[in-house]
Amino acid sequence: MPPLLEVDDLHMHFFTRDGIVKAVDGVSFSLEPRETLGVVGESGSGKSVTALSIMRLIPEPPGKVVKGDIRFRGDSILAMGEKEQRKLRGNRIAMIFQDPMTSLNPVYRIGKQIAEPLRIHKNMSRKDSWDAAVELLKQVGIPQAADRARSYPHEFSGGMRQRAMIAIALACGPDVLIADEPTTALDVTIQAQILELIQEIQARTESAIIMITHDLGVVADVADHVLVMYAGRAVEFGTADDVFYRPLHPYTWGLLESLPRHDVDEKGQLCPIKGQPPSLINLPQGCAFRPRCAYSQGVCTMERSGLVEITPGHFSACQFSGDSGFVEKACGFLSRER
Amino acid sequence: MAPDFFEDPRRRDIGQAAEEQTFGGSEALAETVVAGRGRTLRTDAWRRLRKNRLALAGLVWICFMIILAASADLWVPHFFGAPTAIDTSKVAQQSLLSPSADHPFGTDKLGRDILSRTIYGARVSLIVGVVAVAIMVVIGLILGAVAAYYGGWWDSIVMRTADVFFAFPYILFSIVLIALLGFGLQTVFIAIGVIGWPSIARVFRSSILSVKNNEYVDAARAMGASTPRILFRHIMPNAVAPIIVYGTMSIGGAILTEAALSFLGVGVQPPAPTWGNMLSEARSSLFTAPWLMLYPGLAILTTVLAFVLLGDGLRDALDVKLKE
Amino acid sequence: MLTYIGRRILQMIPVFIGVTILLFILRAPGVLPGDPIKLITGERAISPALYNQIVKENALDKPLWYQYGRWMDHLFHGDLGESYQLKRPVADILIEKFPNTLKLALVAILIECFMGMAAGILSAVKRYSFWDVLVTLSTSILVSLPVFWLGMILQVIFGIKFKEWGLPYLPISGMTSADFPGWVHYVLPAVTLASISTAYAARITRSQLLEVMGQDYMRTASAKGLTGGQVIWRHGLKNALIPVVTYLGLDLGAMVGGTILTETVFNWPGIGFQIYRAILSRDWPIVLGAVVIIVILVMIINLLVDISYAFLDPRIRYGRVAK
Repeated sequence: MPPLLEVDDLHMHFFTRDGIVKAVDGVSFSLEPRETLGVVGESGSGKSVTALSIMRLIPEPPGKVVKGDIRFRGDSILAMGEKEQRKLRGNRIAMIFQDPMTSLNPVYRIGKQIAEPLRIHKNMSRKDSWDAAVELLKQVGIPQAADRARSYPHEFSGGMRQRAMIAIALACGPDVLIADEPTTALDVTIQAQILELIQEIQARTESAIIMITHDLGVVADVADHVLVMYAGRAVEFGTADDVFYRPLHPYTWGLLESLPRHDVDEKGQLCPIKGQPPSLINLPQGCAFRPRCAYSQGVCTMERSGLVEITPGHFSACQFSGDSGFVEKACGFLSRER
Repeated sequence: MAPDFFEDPRRRDIGQAAEEQTFGGSEALAETVVAGRGRTLRTDAWRRLRKNRLALAGLVWICFMIILAASADLWVPHFFGAPTAIDTSKVAQQSLLSPSADHPFGTDKLGRDILSRTIYGARVSLIVGVVAVAIMVVIGLILGAVAAYYGGWWDSIVMRTADVFFAFPYILFSIVLIALLGFGLQTVFIAIGVIGWPSIARVFRSSILSVKNNEYVDAARAMGASTPRILFRHIMPNAVAPIIVYGTMSIGGAILTEAALSFLGVGVQPPAPTWGNMLSEARSSLFTAPWLMLYPGLAILTTVLAFVLLGDGLRDALDVKLKE
Repeated sequence: MLTYIGRRILQMIPVFIGVTILLFILRAPGVLPGDPIKLITGERAISPALYNQIVKENALDKPLWYQYGRWMDHLFHGDLGESYQLKRPVADILIEKFPNTLKLALVAILIECFMGMAAGILSAVKRYSFWDVLVTLSTSILVSLPVFWLGMILQVIFGIKFKEWGLPYLPISGMTSADFPGWVHYVLPAVTLASISTAYAARITRSQLLEVMGQDYMRTASAKGLTGGQVIWRHGLKNALIPVVTYLGLDLGAMVGGTILTETVFNWPGIGFQIYRAILSRDWPIVLGAVVIIVILVMIINLLVDISYAFLDPRIRYGRVAK
C-alpha cells in the first residue's frame, strides 16, 4: 500500500530575471496516516515552498517543478489535471497559514469563510454548511460559536483567528494537514494553546500533520519524524528522538545550540549560527552549509553529500556523519547535557 | 502569493541588514540598498528611467516642443507667416485652406497659418505649465512643511484649508478667480497655481511625516543638528522624489487646464494663439473645415501625454507611491 | 456606525464654513483687485448714482462680517442674487438646468462604472499581457486628452462624417431634436464626460485588484480549492471594489462640477452650459451662484459616499477602525 503522501526528490525552482532560484532542490519524505512530520529550518530554507508545492499554490511561472514528484495515495499530484488537484486542495489536503491576521478575508463573516470549503467540496446547502461551521468553531474552542460565526475577522483576536483558520482547514476532514508556522505570529501564551489544539485534533481524527517551523522546540513536542532543511535541501531526517538526542549534521547541532533551553541553567549562553543562509541562486560549491560550518574540511568544498542512512531510519547529508568518532567528539556536549 | 524572497533575491544579500534598520519607507530601503552597491540614488533612478522607453519618449517629445517653441521666432514666420498676422486684402482667398505645401496644416477663418499658430501656442502652454506648477510647488512646499514640521494648530489650519480647496471643482474655481482678477496670462498662472497647492502640500506633508519619525532623524536631532539642517539634510532628500513626480504630472494637468480655460474664453485672450482658443475658434468651422481642430488638439494630447508618461516613469524610477 | 456618520458630519461643518468664507471673500470688496460691483452689474458702464445705490442695496458699505452674515442668510433662503442679463433669480435658473446636468452625469457614471471596472479587472487578471498594456496605454492617453477636443472629434466622426458617408449617425447638439429619440442625444456627451473618469476608474480597479491579489486571504481561498476565477470573483472583487465604488461616488460630484466643457461642446442645456453662456455675457451672478450650489452639492455627495463606504466595509460598519 502506497504511503498517504509522498514527496519524491522534489525540485521546485523559480525562474527570475536575476537567475534561477533553487528554492527546493531535492527533498523527499513520506507520510503515513496519524503521523506528524516536523519540517525545520531557517527562513528561506525551502520549507514553506515545499508545503505550497504540495498544495500546488506556487504560481507557475515563475515557479516550476523541474524534477521529482508528489504523490497522494500513490497518485501523482503533479500529473493531475487542475480539476482533480482542486478536489484534493482544502478537502483531502488542507493548510494552515502563518499569519492569521491577514489570512482571513476581512469582508466576509467568519462562519461563511469556514463554510466555504464545505460548499465547494461537499455540495452542502447554505444552511447546512453554516451549521457545520458553527460546530467546527465549537470544536476549535471558540465560545458562543453560534454568535461568533457571525463576526467579521477584525472582531477576532489573533489567537481566535488562528482557531478559525484551523476550523477552515479541518472543515472537510482532511487526510493531511499542513501547518506552516501556525504559531509564529502569535503571543507566546497563545502559541501553546494553538499547538495543544492541533495535537488534540490529531488525536481525534486520522489526519497526518506536516508541522513547518523554524522553532525546534515546537517540533520536539509534537513530531514523530523530523526533517531538517537547509538551502532547499534536506540535511537530516529521522525520528524526533534521533534528531534531538543523536543529531548527526552540524547544521542541526547549530539549531539545537541556538535554542533557548529552560531546562538547563538559565545563564547558559545561546549560540546563534554565524553568517547568513546562502543565496539560492549561487549556492556555494560542495556542501551548502560549509561557509558557516565550524567543522568543515577541505573535502567539503569539493563535493556535496546526499542524504545517507547512518543508522536505521536516521539520515544525514554530512560527509562525516558516518564517522562516529567525529560525531561523538563534535556534539558530545549536546547529548551529555540532555 | 508565493513567498516574497524570490521577487528580488538581491535583497537577501544586500538588503537584509538594511531591512532591520529602516522602518517602512521603501525609499529609505532602496537608498540603503543602492548605497550598498556604491551608487547614488540619482544615478540609479536615471538608470531605471533610461530603461523605460515610454518615459524616454515623453522626455524627448518635451525637449522637442521646448526647442520648437523657443526657436519659433527664428524661422516660423519666415516659412509659414506670423501667427497673428491677418492680411485683410487676402482674407477671402486665404480663409480655411486645406493643408497644402504652403500651409502644411491649413489656414483658419482669418487666413492665418495653423502650423505657425500651433507652434506659437506651444509657448503659452509650456510657459503656463511651468510657471503655474512652480507657483503651486512653492506654495505647497511651504505650507506642507509648516503643517508637517510644526504640527498641532498649524497642521490643522493648513490641512483644513486644503480640504476647503479640494471641495471646489477645479475648473469652476479657476473661472471664479479669473472672473475676479481679470483676464490675461498672469491671471491664468495665478489661478492654476493657487488652486493646485493643496495636493503638493499633502504629498509633501505626508512624506515629511513618514521620515520625520524615523530613527535616523531622531539620531541627527540627538547629535544636535539644527532644525533647518534636519529639514534640508535629512528630510528633503527623502521628500523630494514625490514632489518631482507630482510636479511633472501637474505640468500636464496645468496645460490641460489652460487649454480648457482658453477654450471657454476666460484664459489667454485672442488674437494670441493658444491651443485652447484655436480649438474654440475651430468649433465654428466644424462642418466646413474639421481639420482646424486636429492639430491643436493633437498638440495638447501629445504634450500632456509626454508629461504623464515622464511622470509615470519618474514615479517608477524613484520608487514613489502616490495615490491615484 | 452612527458615531462614524456623526463624526463625518461634524468634520464637514468646518469645511463648509471654510468654503463659504472663501467664496465670500473672493467677492467681497477690497480683497481682490477687481471691483465687486462689476460682479453684480456686469461690465456695463453705470452712473455714480446707480453705483451708490447698488452699494447700499448690497450692503457693500457695511463691515465684512455683516456682509458675510447677510450673504449666508440669503444663501440659506435660496437667494443667490439676480442675473443682470436674464433679469431672473439665479436660483430659479439653476434649478431649471440642474436636472439635465444630473441626468447626463448619471449616464456617464454608468458608462464609467462598466467600462472602467471591466478594463481594470481585465488588465489586472491578465497582468503583463497584451490587454494589460492596451488598457494601461489607453488610460494614459485618455487622461491626457482634452475633454472638449474629444467631444469635437466624436462630433466630427459620428455626427458629421457618418452622415456624409450615409451611415447611421448621432446627434451632436442639444438634448432633444425632431430627428432622434431623446436618449440618443445622451450617447456622445455621456461618453465624452465619462472618458477621463473611466480611465481613472480602470487604473484604480487595476491597482486595487493587484494589491488584493497579493493578499494572504487570496491564498487561503485558493487553498480551500476554489478555482482561480472563483478566488478573484468571490474574494478579490469585493475587497478591491470598495475603494472603486467610493471613487465612483466622489466622481459623481466631480462630474457635476466638470460638466462645463462637455456641456459647452454639445450645447447641453445644463448648469455647465449655463455657466459658459454667463461667462460670455459676463453675467457673474450666475457663475458665482452656480459655483456655490455646485460646491455645496459636491460636499453633500461626498458625505453620502463616506456613509455608503461604511455600509460596504464591515471594518468601518462596526466602528473599530477609524480612517
